[in-house]
Amino acid sequence: MPSVSLVCDGFIGQARALSRGLGFAGLPAARIVGHVDAQSAEEITHNLKSVTVDEVIHHLTMAPTPVGDAAEEAPADGIAARGTFDEVNRVFQERQWSDGLPIVPPTAEKVAAFLACIDDDPDRVIGVLQPSGSCATPRNVAINGVMANCRPEYMPVLVAIAEALADPGYGVEHSGDTTGGEALIILNGPVVGTLGFNCEGGALRDGYQANTSVGRFLRLYLRNVARFLPGGADKATFGNTWRVVLAENEAACEALGWPPLSADLGFEAGDSVVTISRFTSGGVVGSIFGGSAEAILPYLADGLVRQVSWELGFTVGFAPGTYRPLLVLSPLVANTLAKSGLSKRAVQEALFGQARLPAHKMEAYIGAWSNLVPGRQTLRQLVEAGQAEPHFAESDDPERLVPIVARPEDILLVVSGDPLRSNAYAFASNGMHGFPTSKRIRLMPK
Amino acid sequence: MDANDRTQGIDDGALVALWPGGANGVAAIDPARRPDTLDGKRIGFLWDYVFRGEEIFPVLQEAIDGAFEDVRFVGYDAFGSVFGGDEHAVLSRLPARLKELEVDAVITGIGC
Repeated sequence: MPSVSLVCDGFIGQARALSRGLGFAGLPAARIVGHVDAQSAEEITHNLKSVTVDEVIHHLTMAPTPVGDAAEEAPADGIAARGTFDEVNRVFQERQWSDGLPIVPPTAEKVAAFLACIDDDPDRVIGVLQPSGSCATPRNVAINGVMANCRPEYMPVLVAIAEALADPGYGVEHSGDTTGGEALIILNGPVVGTLGFNCEGGALRDGYQANTSVGRFLRLYLRNVARFLPGGADKATFGNTWRVVLAENEAACEALGWPPLSADLGFEAGDSVVTISRFTSGGVVGSIFGGSAEAILPYLADGLVRQVSWELGFTVGFAPGTYRPLLVLSPLVANTLAKSGLSKRAVQEALFGQARLPAHKMEAYIGAWSNLVPGRQTLRQLVEAGQAEPHFAESDDPERLVPIVARPEDILLVVSGDPLRSNAYAFASNGMHGFPTSKRIRLMPK
Repeated sequence: MDANDRTQGIDDGALVALWPGGANGVAAIDPARRPDTLDGKRIGFLWDYVFRGEEIFPVLQEAIDGAFEDVRFVGYDAFGSVFGGDEHAVLSRLPARLKELEVDAVITGIGC
């Protein structure tokens, strides 16, 4: 069917990058001058009438011409570059296959060593990743894993990450959104210990090969297979560097009698599981003081509230019930909660009750200040429209306190970090645009 | 260089690096044939319910309505939001919905 897409000036490049991945050589786009959020009603009307209307009519009545970026085709021999370490790296930088740091040249020998660590067809199509429309396979997982300085034995973890990216529930196609959230890999199970992942001091710091290189792999894979490149499909206004893997301290969980995150998400305790989710921001809840749950829960709840603003559109509004913040507790802090008799579920319930903000503030974040809810609907209107849970409209008092998530279990809890420090770390979630997605890691039988 | 050297990633002493991308997994789609005019056509609006579509689509409708004879429009509410929590369901229903509403062409937005 003839169609034309209305695209703001700053997104024409993204539209072209997306076009090929959707199967179109030239998906017609009509320009909207500038960015609509920064224009008066009069300016928008003027720009539409002077530019956009003519382009809409043109694209609906004239045959499209190919305008999208040419799809990058694999070389017939599968070889990208030959030369010294420096020469290979120069080519990979020029072709935008690197993140700016040196890559380990992915030679056939190194790739074969990675593939030998999985019981899988190297060319199995794991899935098709947008925006490129390219196939994810164990072979290109291995190539990017080599480049990231992973070790061959990490390969089952890398394949599980690619499987999570390819899961439609994750929403990989949104990975280039303008707010620039970055994926975090959370690791559970015996592989944390057997592969040497750090889950203690500096848990979110680079410096451990497993945590660092696997985190780097994910960003390289998004660049090279999904093809999120700045100026094209990656529209991050700021973005941030890729995150190292967060490994859960399951020994600490066991000592507390708490299930690990993977069990909260439906897996058997003892399974090795990778979970990926995109988070928009994060911050430390520092120097937590108190010897009981009652004493420390208000500060932890405040830490969750301080991270969130426009993302509340994933709690109510355009993607209700998909906001999944993450609170990482040091073993010491988790122990303070557990020794007060709180199960993990009870902690989630308590945080649901205390991590709240005034209703008028939430309405401002999703309506007046961000324009993510057309018509600036109130929470009551959103409840009546089925876009918010009933507890968001228990009264019409604008000062009433409302939760930041739809359900207690939406708050993800992980135990990690220095076992003897009294700190926590709160992450704001990117909702359905990188929804928490878990895959079991299939290890080779010994 | 012999075959074994190639598999070892060695080519006359140089490194041989493999291509890190993925093969295309999407079939090409030919563009739909365009009408010569929008006279008598029914145009559907598809909206992601963000970025001021409620202001933009009426301006486009008024301008197109003034430029062509007997052109009709189907508003975005007839389809639902193509962005957000319902996007997968809305898009899966879309082909049947467009046919049901006898839509001839679509204007979709807002890419921003």
